[in-house]
Amino acid sequence: MNPNAAKDLIVRNAFLCAAAVVITSCGTATFSKTGSDAQIESLRNFELAFIDEFAVPGKRFNAAAFDTKLNQGNAKFQQAISDEKFTARRPVLVDLKGQFDADAAHLRSKASRGKVTPALASEMKKDVNKIYDHALGR
Amino acid sequence: MPSAGKTKRKKSSRKRSELDSALDQVTDESVAASMKEFQDLLAQAKGDTSELIRQNAQELEERLVLLKQKKIDKEDFNFFVENQKRDLRVFVDSQPAQSQERAEKLTLHILEIAATKIVPVLIMMI
Repeated sequence: MNPNAAKDLIVRNAFLCAAAVVITSCGTATFSKTGSDAQIESLRNFELAFIDEFAVPGKRFNAAAFDTKLNQGNAKFQQAISDEKFTARRPVLVDLKGQFDADAAHLRSKASRGKVTPALASEMKKDVNKIYDHALGR
Repeated sequence: MPSAGKTKRKKSSRKRSELDSALDQVTDESVAASMKEFQDLLAQAKGDTSELIRQNAQELEERLVLLKQKKIDKEDFNFFVENQKRDLRVFVDSQPAQSQERAEKLTLHILEIAATKIVPVLIMMI
């Protein structure tokens, strides 16, 4: 093999390797992003269900059930934050946790005094959906 | 003090919302300037090119109406304002330097006026 042909072969192989690395990393990133989005959707569903369960006008406040659900939520958010592969997404998850904390505190305050209204529940869910949509870049 | 008397302010050509109608009942000169500033900013925000600014203005107006109708109380309103502020700070900070002042005026500033000047008046009208 002449030296030029050998050089071309090396350059071509190096290019193919670089392309393969780029394509593979893009595929992994897309796959991880999909997983990260699914995690955020799961947190959204949990929070909406939490509001549905406790923001019910006229329902007697069950502090033990509320605390159990709140602890489940806290654990779910902490797990999501520590499992997040995209470091840039972690602050977003921390913000979502902040929203969950604020929702839980307001809900406890209102539900324990029997001051939940249908409008409060629907507006809370509206805010949750909005903040999660923004977190997902929608 | 606000009263539910006859409207003194000049009517603009834009369509009157339920909130406008309520605020137009305020005849007290000491709060009229704040009402006027709020209504002007809200109208600007509702017609802005940014969807987020329009959405924020729409939500704010709806929640003021809910408060007026006693479907939510002041605690709920303040809670929603804090939610909106949290969501909007990122948006304002991400705007180009020359647009930040306007974005802040049409989002965070409106929320502040609503919470500190408009809500007390609406509550007195209930």
